[in-house]
Amino acid sequence: MQEEQIIAGLRAKDRKTTEYLYDKYSRALYAVISRIVFDKDIAEEVFHDAFVKITKKIDRYDESKGRLYTWMANICRNSAIDKLRSKEISQSGKTNTIDDFVYGMESQSGTQEQIDGIGVKELMIELNDDQKFIVEYIYFKGYTHSEVSEEFDIPLGTVKSRVRAAIQVLKKNVARI
Amino acid sequence: MDIQSYISSGKLELFLLGELTEREREEVLSLAKTHPEIQRELDELEETMFAFDDMTGAVPSQKVKDKIFSTLEKDFILKEESKSSSSSSQTKVIPISSPWKPFAIAASIAAIVASGAAFYYADKYQERNDQFTALLQDQSVMADNLNQVNQQYKEADSRLDKFVAGDFKRIEMKGEGFDMQKDARVDVLWDQNAQEVFIAVNNLNELSEEFDYQLWAIGDDGPVGIGLVNTGEKLTLQQMEAVAQAGAFAITIEPKGGSKAPTLEKLVVLGEVA
Repeated sequence: MQEEQIIAGLRAKDRKTTEYLYDKYSRALYAVISRIVFDKDIAEEVFHDAFVKITKKIDRYDESKGRLYTWMANICRNSAIDKLRSKEISQSGKTNTIDDFVYGMESQSGTQEQIDGIGVKELMIELNDDQKFIVEYIYFKGYTHSEVSEEFDIPLGTVKSRVRAAIQVLKKNVARI
Repeated sequence: MDIQSYISSGKLELFLLGELTEREREEVLSLAKTHPEIQRELDELEETMFAFDDMTGAVPSQKVKDKIFSTLEKDFILKEESKSSSSSSQTKVIPISSPWKPFAIAASIAAIVASGAAFYYADKYQERNDQFTALLQDQSVMADNLNQVNQQYKEADSRLDKFVAGDFKRIEMKGEGFDMQKDARVDVLWDQNAQEVFIAVNNLNELSEEFDYQLWAIGDDGPVGIGLVNTGEKLTLQQMEAVAQAGAFAITIEPKGGSKAPTLEKLVVLGEVA
């Protein structure tokens, strides 16, 4: 199905199109959420809400402002970050310990077990330390680039170029596998 | 413009991560329209991000899939009903013959009453369902608000800690001696040891869009700009930049964004450190 057909089908509340969308994108979208929200039950709850939101908000999606996957991934990412921050507050006391709710890639109980299929590590093997750091914070911990810049005192331009470099390496690895 | 260096600036990646401001987004979109290589790069990056997500994620459980589709069921049904209802209105008329007639009539009446009741309750159900959905939405709005209040409270709390622990000096800045705004009043609170400066706006006129109020610390090296003043927040504390040494504080009106050196003709208030 072409992207335009998917969008038109979703807007018409067509069951088949929605099923197609789910089959094609559920794994990627769930990945966006579950690498930020560690707990499986909570991640699935966020995924449920985000997917329903996507089907409801499709009327407001504007094709001229970006592609469908980007739009959906951002809804998922933002839902996950919102969830993470609201959890954080309800745990109270401690502040900004995002780490508590996120699995670090380096940790023993980390990402590797969370996934099936190809290992994150395998894809990230050629990233240098700086790039790994950026991917960890932006992809896995839900930081924005300006938060990374402020918190770790890295100039904004450097953060940007490291994001760029990291994704270029991922691009190469994704194509190779 | 140099397209290659624009592509390699990292802006397109941030665009896809949803991290650009509205203005920057517009810029990327309009450049993508005029430069096919930017559009191509965006498409490739999106493919990469999708492939990375798709390869590294676990498949969500069947349970969550079922739940999603049962949540969406109502939308599908509404749609499918509206499609089929138009075609089913053709009904055959069967002539009713004598002995069964009264029963047939009674049965028809019963059927009409029953379906009337069914519609009535279906309608009620829908109404309740809508109310319930609205309540759920209200609840999530309230939860959001609570989070915000919680955060504000924490900020206020940490500020209060500073004031209790710190050694703050209060410097009143007044507009009496100047022509700009005679009744202007702004207080500076300054902890010289911790070098922290807060201000509380008591009275300052609103400025037009092109101007800002700028606070200056006047020390041995002359005036140093230590931040712009927000007039919207009356009588709340705004933290300004750190100051170690100053003999006086002053506020001037400067072009939007502030200036390197104060425009002395537009001095609004001044207060000397006692």
